[in-house]
Amino acid sequence: MSLIHIKDLTKHFKILNRREGLSGAFRDLFSGNYRTVEAVAGVSFDIEAGEIVGYIGPNGAGKSTTIKMMTGILKPTGGMLQVNGLMPYDNRIRQAQIMGVVFGQRTQLWWDLPVIESFKILKEIYKVDQKMFDRHMDMFNELVGLKALYSQQVRTLSLGQRMLCDISASFLHNPQVVFLDEPTIGLDISIKAKIRSVIKELNREHNTTIILTTHDLGDVEALCQRIIIIDKGKILYDGDIKRVNALFGAYRTLKLQIDDFTAATLQTLTGKLTEKFGAEHGISIAETEELWTDVTIDQARTPLSDVLNFVMSNFGVDDVRIVEISMENVVRKVYDGALK
Amino acid sequence: MHSLKDYLRLYFIIETQYIKARMQYRADFIISSIGMFFSSLATLGIFWVILGSIPDLAGWSFMQLVFIYGFYMIAISPMQILFDHIWQIRFHVQQGTFLKYYFRPLNMMFYYMSEMFDIKGLTQLAAGIVILIYASIRLDLDWTLPRVALLLLTLFSASLVQISITVLAGCAAFWVLDAYPVLGLAWKLREFAPYPMNIFDGAFRFTFTFIIPLGFVAFYPSQLFLQPEDVSSLVYFSPLVGVGLFALTYWVWTKGVNSYTGTGS
Ligand SMILES: Nc1ncnc2c1ncn2[C@@H]1O[C@H](COP(=O)(O)OP(=O)(O)OP(=O)(O)O)[C@@H](O)[C@H]1O
Ligand SMILES: [Mg+2]
Repeated sequence: MSLIHIKDLTKHFKILNRREGLSGAFRDLFSGNYRTVEAVAGVSFDIEAGEIVGYIGPNGAGKSTTIKMMTGILKPTGGMLQVNGLMPYDNRIRQAQIMGVVFGQRTQLWWDLPVIESFKILKEIYKVDQKMFDRHMDMFNELVGLKALYSQQVRTLSLGQRMLCDISASFLHNPQVVFLDEPTIGLDISIKAKIRSVIKELNREHNTTIILTTHDLGDVEALCQRIIIIDKGKILYDGDIKRVNALFGAYRTLKLQIDDFTAATLQTLTGKLTEKFGAEHGISIAETEELWTDVTIDQARTPLSDVLNFVMSNFGVDDVRIVEISMENVVRKVYDGALK
Repeated sequence: MHSLKDYLRLYFIIETQYIKARMQYRADFIISSIGMFFSSLATLGIFWVILGSIPDLAGWSFMQLVFIYGFYMIAISPMQILFDHIWQIRFHVQQGTFLKYYFRPLNMMFYYMSEMFDIKGLTQLAAGIVILIYASIRLDLDWTLPRVALLLLTLFSASLVQISITVLAGCAAFWVLDAYPVLGLAWKLREFAPYPMNIFDGAFRFTFTFIIPLGFVAFYPSQLFLQPEDVSSLVYFSPLVGVGLFALTYWVWTKGVNSYTGTGS
């Protein structure tokens, strides 16, 4: 039996069109003015003990909603969901004992207390024995230098320090599964790298299952053997990262700010690139933000430097940026059949 | 899971830390405690000035009113001290920070309320005790052991009534966008609690007895001590009202918690 078993899971939100003020609030109580959002629209997967699974997808795909169901906050609208053989929503207290959760930028530590006191309170809450507590605290200290932060109030920690503390805290009671919803959001490269290595170590230490959502494909590449891609509440891909890695690993997006940009520019650019590199060039072009043109290049087929040189010599270019392919583009490519 | 003993121990550990943290800002702590003490006395002072000039109010002597007032101050203190975090619920629910209370293997009401311990409420409690003792000496009340036990029981129940009314109002945050007016109203209404219910006309008296039972915060239970030989049968319900109301409140809280869907993302 898998640690997490999900079959045809759905979650619909009924959204009340709310009204203002006290009288509006009272009318809302009796109002039937709803619309429905299918946040999770029939999702199935199994996760085995010890896996690190990347749960990715664009904004609003349904990732957090799925995690909220797995952690027992939300009651599924339909389908089957078991964690360690139990339905989380119906067994919240018991399930909380075997889970660790970190939700984005919201800390679960005690805001006004020194860091070490949060850990001591958690020790009591989860009934962690002294030996395990000491061992884990030593480990956290080794991994993230926790000791240096012991006496600091949680509210005074930087975002990165707080995230490291939160992640450590979620492992204190040696849970079977840890859910990390966007653990690297808003952090700089060096803290991200640190967080990745910490997560990896913690997973190795007790073979803890980890489910992680992120918008940073670097996180997934560094941590996961398996990824699940979800969009509009449905799973697009579930499998080995290697196939997807080949996909987004080779892609780069060239962001260009072209002089005298007009409606015709995109077409001219497309035409010239096709002329130069042939029909199978693996280049796609889109205008994303104002003034910026995205040229996404499959480096396996056309070297990025060639495209850059070509564009620079044929167009007046004000500014250039090179970025990794975005989540949205990965999803678009999967839709376009890139993984078939 | 956790036994009652575990919870008490946990509560003690958490609150000790909070008090320690507060004590670091010593001046703030001392000033707010003193402030609370004097503001309690000031409200009593106003009460004193207004009622002191009338020989009796609807059949109640001034010193009896002071007794009711002392009872009231004690009865509202547990709400102030232990359940003060209810004031933040609208914020937590709207910001999505309420989610974190689901993640621990704890009773959620316990966990939520344990995040605030309003130590200045202790000065209000102290003031209430002083006033109650003063009034009962002046009234020459006869405190036998069973009567002291009855007093503690009724105070317990009365504080549950006050807690329930406020927490119930706070629970509105689970269903309405702006629950503040509801909570604000409940809080304002408590100012009617230290008055004899028979000064209010029928509709108000009915409301404060059966709908928003503020009468059970101070007036009805006090009658057991002020006029033990001449009380309406309602008075005997006062210990039950607190327990029943709290059970209802806990049920509504659980409903709210179970139906909360959080914010997006
Ligand atoms: N509490 C809620 N009430 C109503 N609708 C919600 C609620 N939570 C989420 N939704 C809706 O459900 C959909 C999925 O949201 P969810 O938060 O699961 O997305 P996500 O994949 O985590 O996105 P992101 O990457 O932006 O965090 C969205 O359309 C969102 O608006
Ligand atoms: Mg999310």
